[in-house]
Amino acid sequence: MKRAILIIMGFLLVGFSAVAQHTVKGTIKDENGQPIPGVNILEKNTTNSAASDLDGNYLIKVGNKATLVFSYIGFKTQEVVVNGRQMIPVKLIEDSAQLEEVVVIGYGSVRRDEITSSISTVKGEDIAKTTASNPAEALQGKAAGVQVLSSGGSPGASPQILVRGITTNNGSQPLIVLDGVMLPDGTSLNFLNPADIENFQILKDASASAIYGSRASNGVVLISTKRGKEGKSIVNVDLSYGMQQMQKINMAGADEYIKVVNLRRTNDGAQPLYDPANFNTDTDWWNEVIENYAPITNANVRASGGSEKINYAASVSFFDQQSNYDKGWYQKVTGRFNVDFKISDKIKLKQDLSPRVERYENTPAALYNLLRIDPLTEVYLPQSERVGRNIYSIYAASKNNVPNPVGNIARQFNETFFFGFFSNTQLDYKITPELTFSSQLGLNVTNAQTDVFTPQYFTTPNQQNEINNIARNTNRNFDYVLNNTINFKKTIKEKHYMNLLGGILYDAQNYNYLNASRDGVPDNENPDLRYLDAAQGEGITVNGNEAQDNIFSAIFRAIYSYDNKYYFTGSLRRDQSSRFPKDNRTGNFKSASFAWDIDSEDFFKSSVINNLRLKVGIGEVGNQNISRAGQFFSVGSDSYVFNGERVVSSFLSQFGNTNLKWETVRDKNIGIETSFFDSALDFSFEYYKKTSKDLLFNVELPNYTGIPGLVAQNVGSFESEGFDAQLGYNKKMGDFTLGLNFNISTNKSKAVALAPGNEQIFGQNRPDLGGRFIKISELGQTVGLFYGFKTNGIFQNQTELNSHTSNDGTAIQPNAKVGDLRFVDKNKDGLLNDNDLQVIGNPFADFYGGLTANLQYKNIDFSMQWYGTYGNDVFNYPSTFLYSGVQDVNVAEGALNKVWTPENTGAKYPRLTQLDRNGNYQRPSDLFIEDGSYLRLRNVQLGYNFNIKGFQKCRFYISGQNLLTLTKYSGFDPEVAAGGNVINDFGIDYARNPVTKTYLLGLNLTL
Amino acid sequence: MKKIVLLCIICVSFLMVCCNNEDFLDQPLRGRQQLDDYFSTPQNAEAFINGIYKKVNGESWWQANFQRQINDMATDDNWSGNTAQPRPDISGISAYNVFPGSQYFNSFWENHYIGITRANISIDRIPAIEIEESIKRRMLGEAHFLRAFFYFDLVRNFGGVPIVTTYTELLEPAINDKTRSSVADVYKLIEEDLQIAINNLPLRSEYPAKDLGRATKGAAQSLLAKVYLTEEKWALAQTNANDVIVSGEYQLEPDFANIYSVDNHHGVESIFEIDYINNPVFQEIGAQLPITNGSRGDQGWGWGSPTSDLENAFLSEGDNIRLRSTIIKHGEPVYGDPDVTSFNALPSENKSGRTNRKYYVPVAKRPVPYARGQIALPYIHLRLADVLLIHAEAAYFNNDPTSAKLSLKKVRDRVQLPTDMSLTGIALRDAIWKERRLELALEHQRFYDLRRQKIDGIPRMALIMGPNGSFVKYNTQISTDPYETTNLNESQEKGIFFDVSKHLLWPIPPKEIQLSRGNIVQNPGY
Repeated sequence: MKRAILIIMGFLLVGFSAVAQHTVKGTIKDENGQPIPGVNILEKNTTNSAASDLDGNYLIKVGNKATLVFSYIGFKTQEVVVNGRQMIPVKLIEDSAQLEEVVVIGYGSVRRDEITSSISTVKGEDIAKTTASNPAEALQGKAAGVQVLSSGGSPGASPQILVRGITTNNGSQPLIVLDGVMLPDGTSLNFLNPADIENFQILKDASASAIYGSRASNGVVLISTKRGKEGKSIVNVDLSYGMQQMQKINMAGADEYIKVVNLRRTNDGAQPLYDPANFNTDTDWWNEVIENYAPITNANVRASGGSEKINYAASVSFFDQQSNYDKGWYQKVTGRFNVDFKISDKIKLKQDLSPRVERYENTPAALYNLLRIDPLTEVYLPQSERVGRNIYSIYAASKNNVPNPVGNIARQFNETFFFGFFSNTQLDYKITPELTFSSQLGLNVTNAQTDVFTPQYFTTPNQQNEINNIARNTNRNFDYVLNNTINFKKTIKEKHYMNLLGGILYDAQNYNYLNASRDGVPDNENPDLRYLDAAQGEGITVNGNEAQDNIFSAIFRAIYSYDNKYYFTGSLRRDQSSRFPKDNRTGNFKSASFAWDIDSEDFFKSSVINNLRLKVGIGEVGNQNISRAGQFFSVGSDSYVFNGERVVSSFLSQFGNTNLKWETVRDKNIGIETSFFDSALDFSFEYYKKTSKDLLFNVELPNYTGIPGLVAQNVGSFESEGFDAQLGYNKKMGDFTLGLNFNISTNKSKAVALAPGNEQIFGQNRPDLGGRFIKISELGQTVGLFYGFKTNGIFQNQTELNSHTSNDGTAIQPNAKVGDLRFVDKNKDGLLNDNDLQVIGNPFADFYGGLTANLQYKNIDFSMQWYGTYGNDVFNYPSTFLYSGVQDVNVAEGALNKVWTPENTGAKYPRLTQLDRNGNYQRPSDLFIEDGSYLRLRNVQLGYNFNIKGFQKCRFYISGQNLLTLTKYSGFDPEVAAGGNVINDFGIDYARNPVTKTYLLGLNLTL
Repeated sequence: MKKIVLLCIICVSFLMVCCNNEDFLDQPLRGRQQLDDYFSTPQNAEAFINGIYKKVNGESWWQANFQRQINDMATDDNWSGNTAQPRPDISGISAYNVFPGSQYFNSFWENHYIGITRANISIDRIPAIEIEESIKRRMLGEAHFLRAFFYFDLVRNFGGVPIVTTYTELLEPAINDKTRSSVADVYKLIEEDLQIAINNLPLRSEYPAKDLGRATKGAAQSLLAKVYLTEEKWALAQTNANDVIVSGEYQLEPDFANIYSVDNHHGVESIFEIDYINNPVFQEIGAQLPITNGSRGDQGWGWGSPTSDLENAFLSEGDNIRLRSTIIKHGEPVYGDPDVTSFNALPSENKSGRTNRKYYVPVAKRPVPYARGQIALPYIHLRLADVLLIHAEAAYFNNDPTSAKLSLKKVRDRVQLPTDMSLTGIALRDAIWKERRLELALEHQRFYDLRRQKIDGIPRMALIMGPNGSFVKYNTQISTDPYETTNLNESQEKGIFFDVSKHLLWPIPPKEIQLSRGNIVQNPGY
């Protein structure tokens, strides 16, 4: 921490430097007389420069005969000879040509109007408004068709990005490309400092992403980092500090708990377990485990600037987030140094370096136990029983055998130290004005080291660890990309524009690990001895291995436009991947797209509509996202004993598939973009349909095959269909500026073909719910639906119970009693069994969307961001125990009023029973399915800009994240964590640490 | 400057040409041997055979042995025992309030089929290896023996199960469409496999010492005798059991207390056992049962505690020698462990205040740490006393009471009990059955015996369990056991839910029904 501050101080000093003889002042305004802050003022042929302040005022010391160059993005650059003057007011003229936004696409960039495919842009400034470890959090609700699925509220949690639904079963994360360098699958955006981000470009359809071929089937997120601009150095300092709060979950106290435990027995005709008179303990485990507020800190310093030859942008950032538990935190320090060298008129060199350090301690997954443990147990043993026990053994064992969460947390020791270094070198050589050769080398090395100490402790004879253990796990990954491209751009006869690109690409990823552990650290409590060298025990484990994934590719792309009216893009990529058997190694991916600017046509005349564009595209991308072991039949080894001696035993550990091949996704996109009233109002609408073929899937074969684990197979075809719409309104009225952005998206992903043997793909086997899978993807149906029994209320009386029979009068639920659930005998065969399982819910929303509003009045700015989903179901897993006390776990406060009793016949949940002979809580059923629609105020911020001498800009703000959530969902957080595999995991609330409310104060300074 | 760039381009082009794409793209799976060339050496083939044995008890406590333990709890010998953790998937099953989703059913099923596939791969690959013919025959014999062992376990628990007998069928799409075979077909396969094993396996005495623990001809004959007994093929059962008895390969342990001992590995009585040792480096090659079955007051989990009904059976026979080596009681000394004068069975968490002595390790003989997977107590699947009693039972039903009584007498002689040589008819049958209960108590035999033994066509399980079952009546009406009648966290009515129309088979794991898309049909009543 101290070191981080020193580095930040160092950067601060860089900002101050300017020496000259003569002072020139003035105000810079635009054609409407509005001051322009941030204009760069350069003394020509020197490096002496300045920038205008908030009111457009500037001040620069120059020689008498100097010439000043005023430049600002979007305006024509102006040169003014000083000629001895001391006051030089300047009026800058807008340059409409220069305003043309440049958009980064794969292996190049184009003007926005050259884009014929579906690309969403999110600007860095919108990202930086959210204080979070992971910039992806801030993407939620910002772009149509892009969903951000939370992975809970633990520090450093990494959410999943989902672009336009699901067409594949294996990993739905898009490809991340940072400044042109493809990053390994599953890269968490944690490594990025949000303040370094210039923008995100999300390539949503295949006509945009096909250039990334085999790794692009889940979309591509292109991230550009900020680069230096010619002119005076600018230093930005951003600081924010806040508190995170977890919403309390109220559990039953001792009285209610004892009543529930006893009722569970007396309802079965058994004896009550506890006599309330014997208990005077009433532990509120939430208060014992959860800290109300946990701090979050973010500090960031950036400096950028440049001269004719060298531009730079450099930053360091520090981020610290604590969990609401005694253990669990996440810290990172990132640095970035982006430099552009103009070596000659023809040669440009870019060199980006970005080292980063992350340290974290895993946040305990303690919520589950703290909800379940009984309130009759004290946290600690009484002093008298602690004699002879070490500090990890002073925690009481609970009455209901749920591990004491306070003790568990106290005994958790793990810390990860992560070091990453990213380097990106790009050389551009303009061979002729039209022809450019580029060579790019991206290197990414990461090293993570996790230390885990398991102390010796004793709670009860069978809750103890007799010997402590120290483990160190190290992972080293190295990957590189080498891209060599040739680009040809030419305009012929002023109307025909063409842009051709060809290239050869290498992409290599290496994974390496070494894990070791040893028993018997001599001192259980001395942290200085928690190293392998200190351990003395005989129990030693060592594991290590290495893996390599390589892709070799050739790409070609042609862009052609005619008279700024018709635009055409075609691309072709050929990939060869080491993940597939030799014969199936090659995949070809192609795309074509077309756009028509109707407003550029002579016949189109409108005073209202100033932009109207139609676009269509088709494309093909691939997916190789399957275990590299998928094609191999491997043998693993183990130990066995003959005659008292250990011998090696071996076995088939991986059942391969030698026919494994590429999954391809074809997609169609059609869209319209339009804007009205001089672009004050803009609207876009897109419809898409994506179809996958040869879907890669890790299939669990019937267990009678004796095949261990999963088998990689190409199993069929998924189709994902939907629309994205975006509506924006930006208007400036005097001192008042309003910006509104609303987007809404729909998506439906279904299985359209499944290979024989895989007509039903299951996920999430729950042993406690009858060992059944609770997720299903079935032919013709939406993928990843909830699966189980339907219920039809609760048996209210014996008459209802007696009438629940098959046609021949036999009871369908012979073990049911009044107060139990009535299950639906779907096939009406008079038996309640696996043939009655059916779809009971859909975790995917009918639509989801976001609303961002930015308002500015004079010095005050206000912004808020809403996100919501509608029509999605959540599987409320905690409700399988919160109202039943299964295995005598604690229940929710007020559960007694929510379970059926003869007096409470309107209850949602069935009667309390320990035997549960009816299987109320031993079957997946719609009892646990709830509407998960919600609307959440993700971010709200109020800022005030003020003037301080020496600073170009000072802004103070207060902000809140997740302050308000509107939902009917009865669980803790409707924004349920996604889990690893979206189809199998999404939509199930497993009581992971919920998203926290965060209150922040912040300061932005510009020097 | 141009030269530098030119140089760069040349370098890059050079790299591209030189870097052979085939080398770049042919990435092996590192750190893993491949099946295709694995059987090229005899050492590897032997290691693969060893891997089949690994599945007999599973890699840890839960794959196979815990279901055996639950099965024993579903008899009159054991309570579920652990009253601190009422678990529907353990306590529920043992009380015949059966929870089909139990992960122990599922892992037992899965474990056994993985074992079968390991055997099938060996049977597929071993014939092509160039090794000494006798070793090749032995390995094939081992694979067939173990495959039969797995199917026998499956058919006794679940009824007719899908049959997979080759490795190659796993590569065909039709493997997904298997259905359950008939019980008769499964037994036919088991008999064939055991015949092959008998024809190929050496005698125990023919193995070098280092191979003790491998399947022997005697083990295959013993298992086949048990298979025939289960099928009620009395004559064949008697013949095969007799072959083992007369082979001279096995003797009864002179001291009953020495059968289960950390100091007695591959003892003279042991016919097929899984050997366990203490090895701190390879942590799962020691026994699990001393912990999973041990008292909660003695570092155990407390699953399964002997019933007073079982204790009464010993007492009624005046059988103290076996009683003291079978049941430990709370507050009493432990036979054979001088360090324990008053055993802590933790009655507040133990239904009967009793613990299994057979899987108990005397304090002085315990490793440190005393943890599951690290205890050197063997697990015996087949021993001579079992075979003698198979012989006795088969001979009785084969109308050869004389042979039956001779075998019965051998077993009783060892524990100094007299044998009434005048016994005939039902009295003789009941004496043999009772002897089996006492001799093999808590060794995971009783459950299968009660399912197969019938009186007037009614399986004995149905006479012991169910609303009118003798065990249920004893506990609810007669018993005055101070522990059992006071710790009611496990109901005295255990077994009252037994329903003979469904509970002679366990449910097929629902997961398997789903994975087979309904091709595997559930057993009736579940």
